[in-house]
Amino acid sequence: MLRVESVLGSRADAALHHAIHHLEHHGSVEFVGIAPVDLDRRRLLARTDGGEEVAIALPRDQKLYDGAVLLLDDHRAVIVRAGVQRWLRVKPATSSDALELGYHAGNLHWRVRFDGTDLLIALDGPAATYAARIEPMISAKRVTLSEEDE
Amino acid sequence: MNMQPDVSVSSSSRVGAARVGIGGPVGSGKTALIERLIPAFAKRGVSLAIVTNDLVTAEDAERIRRSGLIDPARVSAVEAGACPHTVIREDPTLNIAAADELEARFPDVELILIESGGDNLASTFSLDLVDWWMFVIDVAGGDDIPRKNGPGVLKCDLLVVNKTDLAPHVGVDLEQMERDAAKARAGRPMVLTNCRAGQGIDAIVDQILASVLFR
Repeated sequence: MLRVESVLGSRADAALHHAIHHLEHHGSVEFVGIAPVDLDRRRLLARTDGGEEVAIALPRDQKLYDGAVLLLDDHRAVIVRAGVQRWLRVKPATSSDALELGYHAGNLHWRVRFDGTDLLIALDGPAATYAARIEPMISAKRVTLSEEDE
Repeated sequence: MNMQPDVSVSSSSRVGAARVGIGGPVGSGKTALIERLIPAFAKRGVSLAIVTNDLVTAEDAERIRRSGLIDPARVSAVEAGACPHTVIREDPTLNIAAADELEARFPDVELILIESGGDNLASTFSLDLVDWWMFVIDVAGGDDIPRKNGPGVLKCDLLVVNKTDLAPHVGVDLEQMERDAAKARAGRPMVLTNCRAGQGIDAIVDQILASVLFR
């Protein structure tokens, strides 16, 4: 088991990029896939694409992110690859529908972002679970839905 | 060729104690569970501290302090003052401060259990506060709870179904309740407990040791 107790930096950092690029040429870069919902954890077990178990325990002032370098030495690098965040795009028909939609999103503690007049809801599970919470608005055609990736 | 770059990590960064949340409805047995977990972790050699949350008192903290199971100084109380989920999810500052303060006073602490105040099925923990969390429901609360798809039941890392000994007395089909919970959670972990008899406690300790202490 590989134990990781700090993030060394981003793979894009100038200080790390050259060494990682060199290791990539030798097939010595491994990735740890982390689901978007787990990126906020300071402690978790994961596995590299090479099959090695990784026990991550970070200080409270550090976080995981796509491209976070967990290990870098002369022989290999281990880097976080964040899973794709799925979003549910909700398009309200009118401003009053947008107002009600905003109320539901807040009341349900959904993670959201805005794109013009659309609301994008970060999905941690099936889209149908989220749609069920605003079904009366959907069936009345007060909002329309579409699913998309990051 | 030495390709290792000059990598520096902030010297103030330190891996602290693991933090585990315990949420669930009023009366589901969260404090009783903690009273069982304290000696179970002591037996495994884990240095422990506890933060309890109550609405406007320190009732649960006082109960644990008086239990004789743990140094009372290792138990801190947070008074939520309002909805219990507010201080474990929307703004967990008070609980983060309480855990930080326990770590500062007891640098050997490996695990801090953070007990939420009794709440409803929508209660969840912020991962800014905890590394991993469990949700405690109880048989006497009704065997339909797992079917209600509350976020607490669905999103927790471990679902604890407590007071299994009461099932025959409250007309609950425990096996059906277990099947419903497993279906709702799509196979994610669940433990059945009877805190009075200590049943299921070691299974919870095993989960925490493996998931956040990596033992």
